[in-house]
Parts: sequence; structure tokens; C-alpha cells
Amino acid sequence: MVGLIIRRFLQLILLLFGISFLVFMSMHIAPGDPATIIGGPNATTSDLEAIREEMGLNRPVLVQYVDYLRGILQGDFGYSYQTNQAVTEAIITRFPTTVKLAITSMIVAVIIGVLAGIISARKQNSWADVTSTTFALVGVSIPNFWLGAMLILIFAVNFQILPVGGLSSPFYTLEGMKELILPAITLGTASAALIARMTRSSMLEVIRSDYIRTAKAKGVRKRPLIWVHTLKNAMIPVVTIIGINFGTLLGGTIVTEQVFAINGIGRLMLDAIAARDFPVVQGTVLLVAAIFVVVNLIVDIIYALIDPRISYD
Amino acid sequence: MKKQKFISLTLLIFTGILLMAGCSDKGSGEGTSGSREAPSEITYATTSDAAGLSPIDTNDSVSSNVTYQVYETLFRQNPETLEAEPLLAESYETPNENTWEIKLKEDITFHDGTPFNAEAVKYTFEQLKDPERAAPRASLLEPVESIEVKDEYTIVLKTEEPYGPMLASLSHTNAAIVSPKADKEGNINKKPVGTGPFVFEEWAEGDHITLKKNEDYWREAPEIETVTFKVVPEVSTAISMLETGEVQFIDKIPSDHISRVESINNVEVQKAEGTRVSYLGFNMEKEPFNDLKFRQAVSYGLNQEAYVSQLNGLGLHNESIIGPKVFGYNEEAKSAGYEYDPEKAKQIIQENGYEGQEVTLLAANRDNYMKMAEIVQSQLTEIGINASIETMEWASFLDTARQGDYEMTFLGWANSTADGSELLYPNLHSDNIGSSNYMRYDNSEFDQLVEESRTSVDQELRKEKLHEANLFAIEDAPMIVMDHGMVTLAHHESVDGLVVDPTGMWSLYPVNRK
Repeated sequence: MVGLIIRRFLQLILLLFGISFLVFMSMHIAPGDPATIIGGPNATTSDLEAIREEMGLNRPVLVQYVDYLRGILQGDFGYSYQTNQAVTEAIITRFPTTVKLAITSMIVAVIIGVLAGIISARKQNSWADVTSTTFALVGVSIPNFWLGAMLILIFAVNFQILPVGGLSSPFYTLEGMKELILPAITLGTASAALIARMTRSSMLEVIRSDYIRTAKAKGVRKRPLIWVHTLKNAMIPVVTIIGINFGTLLGGTIVTEQVFAINGIGRLMLDAIAARDFPVVQGTVLLVAAIFVVVNLIVDIIYALIDPRISYD
Repeated sequence: MKKQKFISLTLLIFTGILLMAGCSDKGSGEGTSGSREAPSEITYATTSDAAGLSPIDTNDSVSSNVTYQVYETLFRQNPETLEAEPLLAESYETPNENTWEIKLKEDITFHDGTPFNAEAVKYTFEQLKDPERAAPRASLLEPVESIEVKDEYTIVLKTEEPYGPMLASLSHTNAAIVSPKADKEGNINKKPVGTGPFVFEEWAEGDHITLKKNEDYWREAPEIETVTFKVVPEVSTAISMLETGEVQFIDKIPSDHISRVESINNVEVQKAEGTRVSYLGFNMEKEPFNDLKFRQAVSYGLNQEAYVSQLNGLGLHNESIIGPKVFGYNEEAKSAGYEYDPEKAKQIIQENGYEGQEVTLLAANRDNYMKMAEIVQSQLTEIGINASIETMEWASFLDTARQGDYEMTFLGWANSTADGSELLYPNLHSDNIGSSNYMRYDNSEFDQLVEESRTSVDQELRKEKLHEANLFAIEDAPMIVMDHGMVTLAHHESVDGLVVDPTGMWSLYPVNRK
């Protein structure tokens, strides 16, 4: 297990190196010049040249990249072209908000998804199954931004029981929890639906297996049969889906944060891309990539925990 | 038995949710209806965060909204008369065409206690012009050759050639005066220090900016105690927040959303003629767009009314490039363009062999540019031109258009100084090919007229020259006006005294809450 972790971390470093190169180059090759954004449409040519000179954007791209790497090795991810804020500072102030949102959504998704999946599998083709699979189909199909806008209109504007936007209060306060409800449902719905479908099919497969029939024949009671014998064995593909989904979820925060006016990493990234704010784009992409890799590592570790047959040594 | 337990568990969860919702009802009811809120606070929803809070180092309208409340300029344009009136200045004289002697108001201090005087003005303008500082709007004072302090409250600006739009430039938010001490010792882009009615309090980047009332303001102190600029990127979310009272006002409402805002009960909507102009531009360096006949045909074939009618009242049809709210406008120019006449358009197309001509319309995927492109496309098809649309996101678009890598495109000009010279010079003068002259229009006769409008300090003569240049450009048609925009602002009914001016700016100084 320790070997796996060390191996993965070495891979992570290589991966981040590769990603930094790709992102850096694609941002510089893509059309759009940060100077024209900073200068605005009415800046003159000399205004633009002065801006490029000041930001060092008129140097060769490779020189800029090497400079950037040197900075990273010293823990300096550069400064935002737009606000001149240190990239690390911009990320640190927003990261907790995004983590809060992503984890809450994942909890919502896992609870709803796994429960719905179990109910469906236990009572295959019953009304509960039909309801849950329909919900799952609708859930994966609804676009985030639409769901978010609808939830705002219903619960914040019409019934006025929840606030429209922002995650400004601490999550342990009542205000904070209320602020989390709509964004977490918006972001978690698609994952919940996926998890429900995966749990259902995986459970059905396990229920039909020989050892469950044997257990049944030996007189194991229904509840331990489902929760211990079936669920635990059906969880492997579900855990994979949850892991992969966590990455997708981080992507999904871009839309959710936009709709709910939440000041998180997703919005930071979106604004930075629109403004060609290279240092911020690179910093946030590297962060998301690193999280994705780490989450997958955690998933691998969980495999070993829930299935003793899996060993990494 | 088991089923019962499951049902009771479900019920328990539902009760919990309802209870929470119940609590929230009371909580948010108080918080959002505005009854608990002291009536001296006001929150504005801004679609994006400010880039910075120094007028010298920024050049975007979002930042200007904040700096406009914190800093002040020497002059400010009167939205009614379109003329510059003294603000921090007391009076001015022009002893000769190249000299502006400006007397300043006395006994004004910056928020940090630094006295406002001619030295502060000199410092600010020199910073704005300093190539090392690379101020995005350095061009505002480009014609200024020297800045001299005559005495403590008199500053003298000298230009190489007479500079007509001087007062308009000095009224621009990016020419606001900053505290020299604060700028030297700290970062005014993060912690702004001006002379304005509101003092900077806090900036949580990406989330909100807070300002407090300036108790020692040189005029009577404002009534509003606290101003919050809350970042809400989605317009529909901002409107919902306006409806629930989480914010008290929004502005720049897109035409697709205006009817929703107007239907909200306790919200008042302001709509007024603005200085913004949107236009269809031709790439004058490419064929057949450099042929006047082709441009005339397109012009005859365009029915701008069809476009304006889709703006839900947020645009006006007027063929003049200089809009009615811009200095230099003359009523005569209103219908000086090529009036919609598809038959004539077809005839010109056929006579000049342009039938079936393939053209690409480049449109940025924001504002109303896509809508313009679709309408123009269908109208061009009717007169026998095959148009296709290429869309791009804003940053790529700006880059592509600036390089002249397009055939026909759509652009807008906000006209933040509301001076016609500051519209015609950047957009159509050959000096600005490669930057703001996206059409790459190069006509010495036109250049001459615009220069005359810039290099005269006689405002009547300037008006005449601008009118001539305007008519010249309308006839030569390097650009065709699509619409003149309306400025909008929607506020909660408790907000009083908030007025949006034609450039889209608003001051919170005269505002109070009922």
C-alpha cells in the first residue's frame, strides 16, 4: 500500500509537469491576448505595447514557460494579470468554498443515489423502481444551470424559504446550511442519478450470484443479506463511479458557482479563461488535476479496504 | 414492521426538512425583505469583479462603477447639457489655444488626510502618462506636453497642438485624482484613496467590495452609510436577488431580461437614451468591402428597424454614427444614411456583379452581437448575398478583429466621455489602424475633419467639424449603425435619487433610502 502511494505521488508530479506544459502552451497558442482584455477595446496600439512589455508577454513563449516553472519550484505561482493578486492567495481564499460545496454535493449524491439504487434493486420493476430509474434518467439529463435557475425561482423567489445566492456564512450556522441547500442539490443531482443507476445494476448482478442464493438457502435474514452480503460486494463499481464523479463534480462547480454567485475555484477559473489570465488558469487547472489524481488514489485504497482480494503489494 | 420503520424514517427526514424550511422562512423573511436592514445601506449586483480600484491602472466599466464613488475628477460632464462642469476644479481659462490654466477648489482633503492641491493633480497626471506605469488609458492625456504647478491651487496643462476634447478627457473616470501619498506608500489598486463621497472599506476579491460614507466630505456628506458591490455573474440570479431584496439595484439589463425585471412589483426600472452605439463594420482592406458600391448595397439592404424591434425597447434606430447623447450630434444626421430599400440594393448588387457573393460575418458571442448577425444574415440573403456567421468568444474575437482577420463584423462603442471626437478618432481615424480602428478605415479627408474637431478649443467649431465628419462617414459607410443603446437601471422602490446618466454611470452621492 505504501509503495502504491509513493508510486502514485511520483506519477502525480510527472503528470502535473505535463499538464502545466500543455496548459501553458495551449493558452499561449489560443487566440486572445491578455493585453487586449486589460486595455479594453479602446486601448491604442501604444497602450497595448506598454501593457505587454510590463507583463513580460512579449518574450518568447518558451522563455516565459521556463520562468514560470522556476517560479513554481520556489512556490511562486505568479500573479493575476487582472487583479495582480498572488495566484496562491486567490486560490487559498476560494478553495474552502469549493471544497465545502463539492463535499456537500457528494454527500447528497451518495445518500440519495445509493438509497435509490438499493430500493430499485430490491424491488425490481416495482413502482419504486420505476420512479427511481426515471428520476435517475431525468437527473443525468438536466443541465446544471437550468436546474439551478429553476430551484432559485421556486425556493428563493416564489416561496422565499432559501437565499438566492452566495456561500458567505460559515457552514455550521443555520444561514450557512440554508445557503448550501440549493447549490448542493444542483451540483449533486447528476451524480446522484449516476450513482443510483450504478448501484441498481451492480446490486442486481450480485443478487443473482450463487453465493447470495446459498446464503438465502442457509436462512440468512433479508436485512443482513442486502446490507452485508449484497451491498458490500456491489460497492466496487459504485466507488469507482463516485471517485470519477468527484472530478466531474469539480468541473460542475464552474456552472453551479456561476449560477449561485459563489466565489469559488470554478468561477475563478472561468473568469480567468475569459480574461486570458494565464497564471490563474494554470494555477487552478493544476490544482484540479492534482485533486483528481489524489481522489483516484483514495478510491484505489478504498477498493482494498472493501475487497480483501485486492492487494497492491 | 420493516416497512413501517422505513416509512417513519422517511417521515422524519421530511419533517426535518420542513422544520429547517420553516426556520429559514422566518430568518430569510427578515433578512431579505429589507425590514431588518438599516435603510442607509445599499447593495448593488455587479456581473463581474472590479479589475482594480485605481483609476490610473484600470479601464473597465465595472471598476469605474466603484472608483466613481471613491475618486473625483477635475470636471464632470452634465448629463443634460453634455458639457463639462467643474467638480474638483473651480474654474479654467485658456490664455492661448495650447494652454489650459485650471484653478482648483481649496480646502479639500483625500480620505487619508493628504491635502488636495495642484501637486496632487500633477502627480496623478504624470503617473497616468508614465510609460513605465503603462496606464491603460494613458491616451486620454497623450496630447498634454507639460504639467506645471503655478501655485498651490492652479495647474497649467500645455499641449503641443490645440486639444479640443480636453475637458471631456479630464471628466473621464480614468483621469480621476488620486492621493499621491497613498499611491507612493501603498497600492491604491487594492486600497483606493480619493476625495469622493465614499471611503473604501473592504474588498473580498471575487465576492464583494464595501464602501463607507465619507463623514468629512467637502460637500454635504452622503446619506447612505454603507455601499456593497456584490459580484453576481448570472444576470438571472441578480434579478432574482433584486426580487427577493438581497440586492437593491442592478444595471445594464440585457434586452432578453428587461420584461422580467419590469414585471417585478416593488422594483422601478429606469430606461434612458445612452451614448453607446453598435455597428456593423466592414474590413476596408479587403475586397469587395473596400468598394463603396458594395457597402451601399448592404446599407440599402439592411433594415435596422427589424433588429431594434427585437430589443424590447432597449435600442433606438438612428443612422447617425454620433448618437443623440454625444457631443457633436446634429439632428440632420439622423436619417442621412442609406434608407432601407431592398430593390435598390438588389439592383446595385446585380449591376456590380456581386450576386451570390460569399461573405462571413464575425460575431462575438456576447451582448447582442449574435442577434445582429442572424438578422443581418437573413437580410443579406434577401438581396442576393450569401452570408455565413462565424462566432467567437470575446477574447478571441478582440484579437481576431484587431488583426483585421475578418470580412464584416459587429462592434459597439460605449462613448464614456460622450464626446464625438472620442468616438470618431479611435474608431475611424487612420492613426488607430491595428488598434481601435477595427474597420481599418483610412481616408485622409475624413482624418482631416476629425483632427480639426480635436485640435480646436472653440466648442461651436468643434461641433460643426464633428457634424461634417459624421456625415462624411455615414455616406462613405465603413460602418453602418445598428442601434443606439439605452442605458438601464432597476432599483428597489425604497431607493431614492439614483439616476443613470447616458454613459451608463451613476453616482450614489445623492441617493437615500425611504
